[in-house]
Amino acid sequence: MLPLMVPAIITGLIWALPGDPASLICPPSRCSGTQALAERWNLDAGPFQFFVGWLRDALALNFGRSWSAFQGMDVGNLLAEAIPVSLMLVGLASLWIFTGVFGAATGWIHRRLDPLLQTSGMIPVLVLALVGAAIVDLTYGFGSSGQEGQMARIIIGSAVLGLADGAFAGAVAGTRGLFSSESRQRYVGVAILRGERELANTLPNVTPALVGQLRARLLHLLSGAVVVEVMLKINGIGDLLWAGTLEQDFGLVLGTATLFAVGSALLLVLQAMCEVAVALHVRRSPGVQAA
Amino acid sequence: MNRRTWLILALGCLGLLFSGAWMAPEHLSAMDLRLSLAGPDLVWPFGADVKGRPLREYALQGAEVVALPAITAGLVVALAGVFGGLLRCVGTESVDATIQGLGEVMGALPRMVVVLVVALVIPRDSRSLMPMALAWAVLAAPGAMDEAASVAERLGGSRFVEALRAHGYSATRIYLVHVVGFNLRPVVVRQGAETLMQVVFLEIALSYLALMEGRPSFTHPDSSRSWADLLQLGYKSLFPSLRYDSEHALWLGLSLLGLVGLMTVSIGRMARAR
Repeated sequence: MLPLMVPAIITGLIWALPGDPASLICPPSRCSGTQALAERWNLDAGPFQFFVGWLRDALALNFGRSWSAFQGMDVGNLLAEAIPVSLMLVGLASLWIFTGVFGAATGWIHRRLDPLLQTSGMIPVLVLALVGAAIVDLTYGFGSSGQEGQMARIIIGSAVLGLADGAFAGAVAGTRGLFSSESRQRYVGVAILRGERELANTLPNVTPALVGQLRARLLHLLSGAVVVEVMLKINGIGDLLWAGTLEQDFGLVLGTATLFAVGSALLLVLQAMCEVAVALHVRRSPGVQAA
Repeated sequence: MNRRTWLILALGCLGLLFSGAWMAPEHLSAMDLRLSLAGPDLVWPFGADVKGRPLREYALQGAEVVALPAITAGLVVALAGVFGGLLRCVGTESVDATIQGLGEVMGALPRMVVVLVVALVIPRDSRSLMPMALAWAVLAAPGAMDEAASVAERLGGSRFVEALRAHGYSATRIYLVHVVGFNLRPVVVRQGAETLMQVVFLEIALSYLALMEGRPSFTHPDSSRSWADLLQLGYKSLFPSLRYDSEHALWLGLSLLGLVGLMTVSIGRMARAR
């Protein structure tokens, strides 16, 4: 539903704006041929026609062409170049989240560190990204746009994304909260008395909530990636979305925002699959090994 | 620290933000190139920009840009939280389920993407942070409603209300005093304060990104300056080779961000449960 909803909303907004959509791309005061442009971009037959046409092309992986930011360039090609970069950035950043979850669940990250983590987690992504950009520029200087510089930007960007806005701190606090409330359940006390391990008992029961939290945190990383990519000059999807927004390039924004929505929908599907797997696992009632 | 100290701190920070917004000049002062990048010793209290204009005016205009939209967004989220909590107490399962479903869909949208889509359609001659702040609040509201609903659930939900009714309490007293005032308050106030901070940071991020591209910001007219301008001015001082003595702008920008962080923490702590 999400991947359909996002382009539908954007299409609605295009038509909700004052003036006809073709004049937005090519104002008659500045350029001629607005009518021809409207026909070319399928803008002359109303929002429904446009949306259905765009959707039909998108299902065939044809996202059309950029209207203004990268005028005439194929949005699909732009996305194809940007997707691996963004995936690498968000993938590396999610390692911080998984480390936080694992550290809190196993007790490797001590409770005493929580106040420190919470305070550091308040640092906004912009400030950490500024520091990151300064480190890259100071270290690589003019070479910062080269291959090595780009890799450094992605690694530093992932650290920024994983730590800023409470991403890591939230993962630790959220996981700890879940486990500590579950540990207070009567069955856990009984299991411990039987010589079973606490984690083995609580984990299956907290997993659905934990996966839900993880999805929200990964979504948060996707959202923050826009700021990090633009600040650190990483050529990812967030950077494309920002360029499209600045230039009022609806063609580009439609493609990139839909891709974000697809990512979000995939996370929802993954969450549902995890929940089903946990439910099946719990139903099997596996024996827990005594410690 | 006790709650009264946090309350004083919160009121102090809010007072600073609003008095700053109220005192903000419509336009920056005239240029005085002799005072270019002058420190706080020459241009009191924060120094001057590259054109010799006091950074105090940047700070005031930045406060004006964020104050009202951020507070409005915070209030929207707090009210949504109250609504979510009360709904759980009333025990209307079908409405509850519908709102939860809507919340799931809204919560699944990456916020920055939605904000940028909103920014995309704001006419360029009427730029303001308010639409984006409201969009952010609408996206944050399901989370707040969900958390408030869990608090109400732990309280006993509709059974808690029934119990108080049995004691002869009026509906106003039950819902406003016991449910909202005593139990939902810590959650909804904290959620509202966090949204307030997020909207301020969002404005700074959007303005900074636009500045990087040399473009006008989506969040304020060209005649105004945001706190992002301070960070951008100060950022250059991090590069010794540039010999750009604008550390005072960087410190001012970071201090203002710290002030917003302190305000959020103090609002949350002052409303915490006894």
